[in-house]
Amino acid sequence: MKTTSKWKLPLGVLAAMGIMAGTAVADDTTGLTDTTIKVGVMGPFSGNASSYSKAQIGEMAYYKMINDQGGVHGRKFELIEEDTACQPAKGIAAAKKLVSQDKVFMMHGNSCSGVAMAVKDIVVESGTPWIVAHAVNPNISMPPTPNVFHGVPAGPAYGYTMGKFVMSKPGTKNVVMVEHSNDWAKSYADPTRDYMKTKGVEPTMVLAMERGQTDATAQVLKIRQAKPDFIVASLYEAETVIFLKDLKKYGITDIPVMGAAGTDLENTLARIGDIDTVKNYYVPHAFIDTVDGPGMKKWNDMILKYYPGETITGFSYVSIGSAVAAVQALKNAGPDLTREKFIAELDKIKDFDTGIFATNITWSADDRHGVKESAVAGFVDGKPTVMKSWNQPM
Amino acid sequence: MNQETPQKKRPLSQNGRIFYLVPLAAALIPFFANDYLQFIVNMIMVYVLVTVGFNLVIGNLGQLAFANTAFFGIGAYMTAILMTYAGFTYELALVGAAISGGLAGLLASVTALRGIRLYYLAIITLAFGELMRWVYIHAEPVTMGTDGLPLPDVTVFGMSMHSETAKFYVFLLITVLVVKGTSNLLKSRVGRAILAIRDNELTTASLGISTANYIILTFVWSGSVVGIAGAMFAASTERVFPESFGLTEVIVHFAMVMVGGAGSLIGSVIGGVVLTALPEYFRQFPGMEELFFGAIIIAVLLFLPKGLVSLLAKVSPLFRERYFRE
Repeated sequence: MKTTSKWKLPLGVLAAMGIMAGTAVADDTTGLTDTTIKVGVMGPFSGNASSYSKAQIGEMAYYKMINDQGGVHGRKFELIEEDTACQPAKGIAAAKKLVSQDKVFMMHGNSCSGVAMAVKDIVVESGTPWIVAHAVNPNISMPPTPNVFHGVPAGPAYGYTMGKFVMSKPGTKNVVMVEHSNDWAKSYADPTRDYMKTKGVEPTMVLAMERGQTDATAQVLKIRQAKPDFIVASLYEAETVIFLKDLKKYGITDIPVMGAAGTDLENTLARIGDIDTVKNYYVPHAFIDTVDGPGMKKWNDMILKYYPGETITGFSYVSIGSAVAAVQALKNAGPDLTREKFIAELDKIKDFDTGIFATNITWSADDRHGVKESAVAGFVDGKPTVMKSWNQPM
Repeated sequence: MNQETPQKKRPLSQNGRIFYLVPLAAALIPFFANDYLQFIVNMIMVYVLVTVGFNLVIGNLGQLAFANTAFFGIGAYMTAILMTYAGFTYELALVGAAISGGLAGLLASVTALRGIRLYYLAIITLAFGELMRWVYIHAEPVTMGTDGLPLPDVTVFGMSMHSETAKFYVFLLITVLVVKGTSNLLKSRVGRAILAIRDNELTTASLGISTANYIILTFVWSGSVVGIAGAMFAASTERVFPESFGLTEVIVHFAMVMVGGAGSLIGSVIGGVVLTALPEYFRQFPGMEELFFGAIIIAVLLFLPKGLVSLLAKVSPLFRERYFRE
């Protein structure tokens, strides 16, 4: 068909607009200047789960350290903290602010799975690269979307680790599970159950212990009757402390308890203040060493340099590994940075040793769960120890 | 000749003028608000209705019933379920949310009708909310449990509601209609009966007023209003989560009622606006929001026990309501 001359101009304008629009999509430099990269850091800085914001503190300390080293290709990180209070609606507001008002280049962080699921569609639609650095629900990054990466062991990885550790204790047949009725607990408990099932073990009893509960007597008395070989406790730290104290109160200190990654070994001991109560408590531990171990010294020094008053716990390290990977991808993307180049470089991260995670990070376009396994930490002879399996220190 | 005097249309009171001027002014917001601010404004309207509904039971009827999060969650989930599984349009799902919220209100009123009052009623209705949260989590095949139930694309009369601006105009219309409807209810014979029950239930009954009917009506109206708010919340977040309807939410709703002014419709609007907007303003001080939020609630309740509306009522007669007890 011949294009008549009267259509040439409008068609030409439309074609030019199309090319311009295409260019805008292909070279998305939102949140970038020659000297800065805007990074949105969402986390629960207030509310019941605010102790998780240590994860964001660790990550921000790392970005600040990179800034002090000159940044990446001359660009320094401008960190914008947004509180989610671990509530979906507040998280949506935070994500919308970062995307439409602050116009960040990328987002990194987020500690609560419910919030992450709530903001997922907003972030995906905006095209903002997002590294989920603490929330564990696997569906945040599965099925894969163009711009979402999981930079921490997701639920299945932690659940796999928890189940594997429980079943590595010889003769484990009778397992009791205690858990919160929320998304967070299910993220750990369901994959743990799935792993145990592959070994022919179903939980003898599943007991609910809700957030904010200040007494675990009912659960403990039922456990005393069941006489389990192992207890799996998918509880937040405050409730874990109550649960362990009540176990001790009723003389149950010889049954091992596998906690979820929402607790931290040293912090749990500090809160209870009695080694006898926690001597049989184990937690997934994604890092190369324990908090006081020599392997973590440089990370501890880094956090304390930028946040001098900070109390360091296992949560403090959770998001650092993915920050290390993000900085590597930014370096690889070169000085002419765009979101597309950054995402492409994140997908090229393979078997990447972050220097802090016990296992390496691998991302690809069809698998965004970067960390597939975790170690376990527990007390051996009263000292925090990182273990591969039951009685097997790393 | 019998000449009938044509009945003059009653002019709008100052209150009436304000009632229409505020939404008219608000209609300009999308012209200068970005997506984030627009979302906050939309959430303000959601919480205005939540507070209006809650205040009816707490402030106007005087019953210490905390089933509000149950109504809110039921409205939100019913919207998502009707749209997802029954293929309802948003308009129809909204009606479904209002009806299901009303039915939940009817259920909650049963406890009050059985003579359960004060702390006992508070505990039972709180338990209702927690029970519903348990259902949202465990009815996984329907609610998708803790992953949250996403809403299909929301359209109203064929118009997409994906943008915050589209939601805003629909929400504004709903909010105006519901607030006006509630205002009319409170100004009617029914409203006066409700207030009479609050002031002295026995005396009211001795006057031949069927207190049971009015208690049921108030709970049902409250449930419907909050159910509608739930439907708006679902459209706003586009995915409903059990976590959004927990105990903390009840505290926030209660604070909105108390800060705005218990028993005052204008107070409900003020409480909803102030306690939705302020935490967002305090967002710029990460980790300090709770402190500011708590301090404001304490200050208001300490110095203005009848809520912010009592302060405004002193400043201007515009904020004096006929049914507002001085």
